[in-house]
Amino acid sequence: MVEATAATWRLVAAQLAPVIGARGFEVLFGRALHMTSTTFPWLVVSADHGGSESPLPRLERCLARQDPATAAKASYTLLLKFTELLMTLIGESLTARLLAPVWAGPSLSSTQESAL
Amino acid sequence: MSDKVTICRLASGVPGLDATLGGGLPEFSFNLIVGPPGSGKTTLAHQIMFALATKERPALFFTVLGEPPLKMLRYQQQFAFFDSQKISESIRFVNLSDEVSTGNFDEVLARITKEVEAYSPGLVFVDSFRSVMLEARNQPQGTLSLQQFIQQLGIHLSGWQATSFLIGEYLTNSDPHPVFTVADGLISLDQSIHRNSMVRQMQVLKMRGQATRPGMQTFRISSAGIEVFPTALVRDDNTATLEPVGSRRTKARVAVGVPGLDEMLGGGLPSGYSMLVAGPSGSGKTILATAFLAEGVRRGEAGVIVAFEQTPSQSRTTTIDDMVRAGQVGLINTRSLDLSIDEIVHHLVGLIHKMKAKRVVIDSLSGFELAVAPTFREDFRESLFRMVAVLSDLGVTIVMTSELEDRYTDLRFSPYGSAFLTDAIIVQRYIEIESHFKRVLAVVKVRGSAHSNELRQFEITDAGIIIGDPLGDYEGLLSGRATLAPPPVKVLGRAKLR
Repeated sequence: MVEATAATWRLVAAQLAPVIGARGFEVLFGRALHMTSTTFPWLVVSADHGGSESPLPRLERCLARQDPATAAKASYTLLLKFTELLMTLIGESLTARLLAPVWAGPSLSSTQESAL
Repeated sequence: MSDKVTICRLASGVPGLDATLGGGLPEFSFNLIVGPPGSGKTTLAHQIMFALATKERPALFFTVLGEPPLKMLRYQQQFAFFDSQKISESIRFVNLSDEVSTGNFDEVLARITKEVEAYSPGLVFVDSFRSVMLEARNQPQGTLSLQQFIQQLGIHLSGWQATSFLIGEYLTNSDPHPVFTVADGLISLDQSIHRNSMVRQMQVLKMRGQATRPGMQTFRISSAGIEVFPTALVRDDNTATLEPVGSRRTKARVAVGVPGLDEMLGGGLPSGYSMLVAGPSGSGKTILATAFLAEGVRRGEAGVIVAFEQTPSQSRTTTIDDMVRAGQVGLINTRSLDLSIDEIVHHLVGLIHKMKAKRVVIDSLSGFELAVAPTFREDFRESLFRMVAVLSDLGVTIVMTSELEDRYTDLRFSPYGSAFLTDAIIVQRYIEIESHFKRVLAVVKVRGSAHSNELRQFEITDAGIIIGDPLGDYEGLLSGRATLAPPPVKVLGRAKLR
């Protein structure tokens, strides 16, 4: 589960970083983490760790500490929040276009398509 | 057959820009788009990119520091030209901020090279070049200098068979960056603010291999994107698109629609002439101009009116409104205060072509001057001259009205000295006779034609302008206080008037 989530996020980052920059992706990711942490408070602790480390490994460690059902729920919510955030900024159609390879990817695809 | 290279020119997709550039964007050219923040550089680049990018000619858009790409995408998609279908299909955005922040231009160039080789774009954009320049200050020793970087980039880009654009900020005359020499094209954007009006202008400072439109060209940014209004050329070399709609200057005369006035003009207004009707407020200039259009409509000639003053429905006789509704007269009615004359001329010429108009009314020059952005007022006379020249080139017959302050001490026809621009002049005045305000008019000038020189009283009735008899029995009419001339002086008075 954790590995699948990490793979999805690596794909999202690979899609977005060239367009909006690695820093731009991290800012969005941080914001999505923050919004998700209102439901899953254990995520906020990890987001507060030092700024230099890439946020993805931190997310992985956080998820690994939870039971798989909770981790899956949190990672689904996080992806949903992130997509919503991107949609409010650059609109639905552009978001769908930029993230198309993510939905086409092997993991989480069916659930996320319905989320869009 | 010539074995010289043929430079293919790409249609930029920006209305008016191709004419300004002198025929479009040369393929494989290396161009700079410069201007202060907010002048429309990124919008121009995007508009060109969305118009030109296809699957066969994909575009790469490198974003450097400056505007965060998220914001750019958020705002640029508000424009009609932004087609998200094209993103990732034929347009790719690449963010270079990580490479640029190191200040190591070898890395930046390597990354650009890598992307260009991988994607083989036909179009390359780098936004913005100013932020590259700023980063140059912290670059490590021993690496490519900024100047070398830009030059390398320019060389690479032309070698890659890509039409490329560097977008940057300030252009200072005192310290022109060496890249300006390298570039094939240089488009400078600017916005000038004068009191409450803002005017956007662009200037093509350089475009190798083609004759660009000289000077500042105004443009507007609307939800559709950028539209440029190139300066009207008096003699367009592209005559095919400017074929005369109306009859070019011939010996034919145009009836002006006021009984008696044609005779005063020597048999009507010569076709293709421009006539100025000058007079104080309320003297009947608009009514005369309306009659001119109505007469055209009666003879099956379409007309166009540019109205800056009273709303056309307020006219008394056959209203402009009726003629516009019937599709016989085209109307440009504007009260915005930030127009450029070129913009009006652009719309006007378009409408003349569309309506196949033969008669044009501009009511009035005074309103026109107010509607024109203050930035252009200094050049109003010059622009007016160009406008009249462009219109007469089209072969239309023009009537322009002009508000004239009623001064009785001097004889003037227009506040801008525009009198010399026109081929014919009718002046209207108020005079006092027997404690009544009366209107008089006279034909002051009809170039190359005999005309009446009488001062004629006229009335405005529901049927229009009714011209009365010459006021032979009075003298000192133009002083505003006419006196009945005694019989012996009467002869002299007439002689004086003639």
